[in-house]
Amino acid sequence: MIPRLFLKVAALTSMVTPMGAGAVAAERVADGVHVPAHERIVLSNGITLIIVPDPDVPLVAFNVVLRGGELGDPAGKPGVASLVAGLLEKGAGSRNAFQFADAVEGVGGSFSAGAGPEAITIRGQFLARDQPLLLELLADALLRPHFDDSELGKLRARQIELIKAAKDSDPSELIGTYGRAFLFHEHPYGRPVIGDESSLARITREDVLGYYRGQLGADRLTLVFAGDVDAALLKRSVSRLFSRWPKAAQSAPRLAAPARATHRRVLLIDSPGSVQSYFWIGNVGVDRRYRDRAALDLVNTLYGGRFTSILNSELRIKSGLSYGARSGFTRGTVAGEFAIRSFAQTENTGRAIDLALQTLSGLKRDGVSAPMLDSARAYVLGQYPLEFETAADWAVALGELELYHLGLDYIDHYGSELNRVTLGEAQRVIEQAFPGPDAMAIVLIGDAARIRAQVRAYGPITELELTAPTFTAPRTLQREGS
Amino acid sequence: MKKPIASLFLTLGSFSAAAVAPSSPVVAGRDAVRAMTLANGMKVIVWPVHNIPSVALYNWVRAGSRNEAPGITGLAHFFEHMMFNGTTRREAGEFDRLMEAQGGSNNAFTSDDVTVYQDWFPRAALDLVFDLESDRVANLAFVPKVIESERGVVYSERRLRVEDNGQGLLAEQVQAAAFVAHPYHFPTIGWPSDIQSWRIEDLQKFFRTYYAPNNLTLVLAGDLVPEQVFALARRYFEPIPRQAPAEPVRTREPEQIGERVVVVRRQAQTPLIQYAYKAPAAADPRGPAVSLLMSILVDGDASRLHRLLVEQKKVAIEVSGHWQEGFDPGLFWLYLTLPEDADPSAVREVLDAELAAVADKGVTEAELRRAKNLAVSGFWKKLATIDGKAQLLGEYEVFQGDWLKMFAAPAQLENVTREQVRQIAHEILDRRRRTVGVLVPAQEDEVEAVSRRAAGA
Repeated sequence: MIPRLFLKVAALTSMVTPMGAGAVAAERVADGVHVPAHERIVLSNGITLIIVPDPDVPLVAFNVVLRGGELGDPAGKPGVASLVAGLLEKGAGSRNAFQFADAVEGVGGSFSAGAGPEAITIRGQFLARDQPLLLELLADALLRPHFDDSELGKLRARQIELIKAAKDSDPSELIGTYGRAFLFHEHPYGRPVIGDESSLARITREDVLGYYRGQLGADRLTLVFAGDVDAALLKRSVSRLFSRWPKAAQSAPRLAAPARATHRRVLLIDSPGSVQSYFWIGNVGVDRRYRDRAALDLVNTLYGGRFTSILNSELRIKSGLSYGARSGFTRGTVAGEFAIRSFAQTENTGRAIDLALQTLSGLKRDGVSAPMLDSARAYVLGQYPLEFETAADWAVALGELELYHLGLDYIDHYGSELNRVTLGEAQRVIEQAFPGPDAMAIVLIGDAARIRAQVRAYGPITELELTAPTFTAPRTLQREGS
Repeated sequence: MKKPIASLFLTLGSFSAAAVAPSSPVVAGRDAVRAMTLANGMKVIVWPVHNIPSVALYNWVRAGSRNEAPGITGLAHFFEHMMFNGTTRREAGEFDRLMEAQGGSNNAFTSDDVTVYQDWFPRAALDLVFDLESDRVANLAFVPKVIESERGVVYSERRLRVEDNGQGLLAEQVQAAAFVAHPYHFPTIGWPSDIQSWRIEDLQKFFRTYYAPNNLTLVLAGDLVPEQVFALARRYFEPIPRQAPAEPVRTREPEQIGERVVVVRRQAQTPLIQYAYKAPAAADPRGPAVSLLMSILVDGDASRLHRLLVEQKKVAIEVSGHWQEGFDPGLFWLYLTLPEDADPSAVREVLDAELAAVADKGVTEAELRRAKNLAVSGFWKKLATIDGKAQLLGEYEVFQGDWLKMFAAPAQLENVTREQVRQIAHEILDRRRRTVGVLVPAQEDEVEAVSRRAAGA
């Protein structure tokens, strides 16, 4: 099936998905969405347990958040946290990898672990009657993983090949990884969470065990269960199964705020024969606790967050240059990136990038109008309830509040904050949070021989082959164009 | 044109969690659903659900690439774009501007069989949405300048999904080879030369035929009162005149009597293999068994082919599959991504031996149990949202002929026996009735020579 919109804005490697937009239009939706009643318990060893009863369907959704994620990767070896996460279900307790998968899928359950920049998460759903099995599997995965050497070898080799396959079949999916590496340099947000072909090949079982002992432990763990829960069973079992898990051996990694880039530069990734150029234009934005986040969401909705946005209007609706163009902020503990993403036929690469940069200049120069702001407000409010429809949605949302140390007000007050946003606040956001067009990092995947001349004017060019085994060009080989 | 989306990185795979089959296959809500047919033949189905103050709307159009012919391939999909580009009452872009300003969002998709328009909006926008949806069916405008611009958008989409995408490129060739007579031969996105050359008269004729109210089914789920929805349907849609029914697709694909092999040479690092077996249509009573067979083969880490090819033999890095459930007999697809140094013919031998074993001996009770649990859990997970409810009701109404059948789905899955799975496996997994696609990584100079020829240099 071919959908109308290209909605894959968040790259696979982006932060845990930013809390969406919006709350509600007229009527009772006008004050937004409210967190349902739930229990929050902190165990003596530091584990946070959250239980959200919602007996609508006989399912229990879970979200396990282990603070740290890719931040805990050893220097020069991105991908360790990602492999650790993948291996948690590849043999644990009394089950080998096959037995673990049989146990989950045999009852129709799901159990999926992954790493992000700031956390490892495990998410899934089980039938309510299988809660004891779910707890047993979680405790085994976290406390008694095997980290079998042959499973590591298999996962590592497969991850390397999957990166190559992605380069063949979906280059746009990787552009955010290239973009962040180019923008953030040595800052942890620049490291590829999935690792790269070169680093993955160097990761050993000692690296995996080192990460597990150093970075995982009770003090990093939040468990959220939502749905048709047996609260007494959950509390009893979590206490029994996890109360002796020690704290992580090492201190939690700390993050410094990255500096915004001050000069425009270009990373050109050569994909010979590509008929289209995929581009990412980014700079450092704002963090998760950014004060004017409601105004930020409204302005980004107008600029590049919905179909009629300024960006999509120019690149798709008016010019027909591209199937789609979007923008977004990735907001972590510290400021992540603001990025524009789109693509255009090879011959039109320069024209499309010019247009994208012009729209950003236009936003900085002209701001937004009151009717525009009202339209964005209705849109964000109208779409918000759809993001909190199921117990699984709440499991994810409450885990994220814990990860970023946000209170319930982050959700409860969002609607009223949206309703109060003024033109002055929107203007402030445009000045502070939106980077200017003259200092953006511009990253392209395309046929370098045919687009090099088109992008030369934007700034110094660094080149990289798409088939290179890293997401950054080795410093010594950087070629500065003019 | 559904393509395999290789779920990229294993540790970052989809978090979307499947749920589980409750032991009782009773699906609640059946008594709440209301349906009616307007005087012009358009059917409206409403499922009131009040957990959130929102509504999901699906407008199903019985038109897909199956209804195309040489010269106008891709037209059904082009309409999916044109339906947002203005009417005689509203300029291009007004549809989206008005909907977004009242809190609604939308999307649409096109397949071999249908084109579907989706809206998600707060209840208060219901009247506006009916106005907008009926306006574009009654009064669509055909503005040459807008058509030319949208041609560029669609071509960009084709580059993204086919020309710069190894799996998409191979699947297009395999499907075209699998069907020599039936219009499933055509790629839904359209052949490049057709995208560049269809004419305004082609558009007008296609629209008149297929966007008639008697060819549409409207499904809504959410914070609704059915009688109010029916009143809006009468007011906005009933005045649109019925049209003569579309010509049926008469061509039936002749029986395939030998394996077909398609090779695509393209610059790439990883080889790909696709198998496309001839398979039953969506409404075939053996449908639940076909779905379970697919699930046994490729769903999850414990599935037959994933475990064998990815975990044990390590000859593939990704295995997935898809049964193209359409109005007419379609394809049962298997997609493999291989590691860089793999020899596709050696991998095919391993795959063929396993598929032959399934066709001969069938599957185990544990495999069938697992597949049933996963299938029913997927069903429940969809039903947990108003979007899933609207989608499922529509699928059953359009492809199975009756939305009511949706409520029997868990019981139907539960009733499938091992013998039924063995029989359908024996029938489908027949080498003589399959088309094999292999993408072979080619050298840069070879690929450049092809590009130069394509560019006419």
